[in-house]
Amino acid sequence: MYKALSLTVANWLSTLGSVGHFLSDVARSLRDVRIWTGLTVEQMRRIGVDSVPIALFISAFTGIVLSMQASYTLTGAVPLYFVGTAVGKGLLLELGPVLTGLVLAGRVGANIAAELGTMKVTEQVDALETLAYDPHSYLVVPRVIAASVMFPIVVAMASALGIVTGWLTAVNMLELSTFEFFKGIKMFYQDKDIWYGLVKSISFGFVIALVGCGMGLSVRGGAEGVGRATTKAVVYGSAMILVLDAVWAVTVL
Amino acid sequence: MKRRDELLVGFTILFAMAVVLGGALWLSERQLGQSGREYVARFNTVGGLSAGSPVVLRGVQVGRVQEIRLAEGNWVEAVLSVYPDVVIQGSPAVIAASASLFGEWQASIVSRDSPDISDPNVLRDLELAAAQGDDAWPGATLPDIGQLTAQAGRIASDIGAFSNRIQTAFNDEAVVHLQSSIRDFGQVAERINKFADQQTSILGDVADNVRVTSNVVTSTAEVLQRIMSRLDTATAEGELDSIVGNASQISADLRLAMAEFRDFVAMVNENAASFDRIIAGVDTVFSRLTEGTGTVARLVSDSTLYVEMSLAIQELRALLADIKENPRKYFKFSVF
Repeated sequence: MYKALSLTVANWLSTLGSVGHFLSDVARSLRDVRIWTGLTVEQMRRIGVDSVPIALFISAFTGIVLSMQASYTLTGAVPLYFVGTAVGKGLLLELGPVLTGLVLAGRVGANIAAELGTMKVTEQVDALETLAYDPHSYLVVPRVIAASVMFPIVVAMASALGIVTGWLTAVNMLELSTFEFFKGIKMFYQDKDIWYGLVKSISFGFVIALVGCGMGLSVRGGAEGVGRATTKAVVYGSAMILVLDAVWAVTVL
Repeated sequence: MKRRDELLVGFTILFAMAVVLGGALWLSERQLGQSGREYVARFNTVGGLSAGSPVVLRGVQVGRVQEIRLAEGNWVEAVLSVYPDVVIQGSPAVIAASASLFGEWQASIVSRDSPDISDPNVLRDLELAAAQGDDAWPGATLPDIGQLTAQAGRIASDIGAFSNRIQTAFNDEAVVHLQSSIRDFGQVAERINKFADQQTSILGDVADNVRVTSNVVTSTAEVLQRIMSRLDTATAEGELDSIVGNASQISADLRLAMAEFRDFVAMVNENAASFDRIIAGVDTVFSRLTEGTGTVARLVSDSTLYVEMSLAIQELRALLADIKENPRKYFKFSVF
């Protein structure tokens, strides 16, 4: 019992130390600006631009569902223009960043973990180190910066499309006019509604990329280790999104 | 490949930024290049008013609340950003109130002289805020839905207490008495109902009589109408004018006769007075005659005087005869 407990604590401390070591390596790699700047644009395209279709697809249906559920909920004394409020607030503050983050945690986090894990098990990372290149400057920093920059871009487009599909749903399927829908959105609008979601999505991109890179570079074994790392990247990335969402909600809202 | 990536990423970022900036401007209803005019309103409390709340003028949104801040003297200042093309005239004041039942607030710009502001609390708050100086518009806050609901809750509690007291007052005994009273009242009502039935019957008879009377009056009216038509015919031929003229002449004659009669009566009155005096004199004469005083009475009652008078008259007659016969004896005329 005591041995198992001490082993668990030791493993936990070891993991914590590995994470700290990894973060310090990444921070140190930020100095190699000439290396990671040339690689960041490609990662921005792969992480951001290539993720736009799936993010728009998700948000389009989210807007439809949100509009329908809001109209289903807001009955009786509540005016129907609150459908616009629910769609706008829901997408800008919560569903846009979080759903997009969760989707990208699966797509981007898994992609990064699998790619870096494969490089790890095929000793490409060791080759870089052998050639005196910092693998973090080449592999981690461009991905983390690209994800941090492109996540709010993708989230902004996804939220906008979600509002548009919510509006189209409200106008065509509910007895709501365009004026009433946008009256509901504007009625409680604050500038914070926009920057809060965007800032939150920056943190999501940062964490997802960091978790994916960490999991990929910590792969041990062969293909099985790559699979485990990919799964962990998705699970931990999704969990971190929800944790960060709660942290932002507690600290900013 | 790298060039293509850069183009794709750049386009995506620019597009997203345009969406974000355009959406933010549109949702916040701000206009680029047109900064709204800022006005400051002074409140005792702003209630639920917050930065971003709409500013309305006669129900039309003309801006937004830019900032809420604490000011000196326990006042709160709200900075209102009003669209530059909006003209605000008169002496403005700001009323902060709930815009709906669901929590949103708005700042309404009103005229301080508006007759719509009748709430004494609002008027008092506006006067207090205005007394602090002209550097800010005076503001007042209407109670929000929560306060009204709390007030309604207190009223409901009072009604509940009142109901409990009524319940206490109307115990079983009181209810029995009340039932007895209601029963008595029912009996009274039944009697009144019977009485009313009787009166209704009587009234029916009266109504019949009235109906008959009305018929008689109707027939009389018809007769009168016929008379009137005849009279009208007579009037049309000028007979009535002649009659009226004659009547007027008679009336004038009568008035003249009455005047003469009044003169006659006056004269008679005067004569009556003279007659009274004559009667009185005669009465005095007769009294003295009766008493035997005076010349006539003595003449009547005393024969000596009568005799002497007869003798004197005889002598006078003899004298007169002598004068006629011998006038020179008594009268002498000479010229020189």
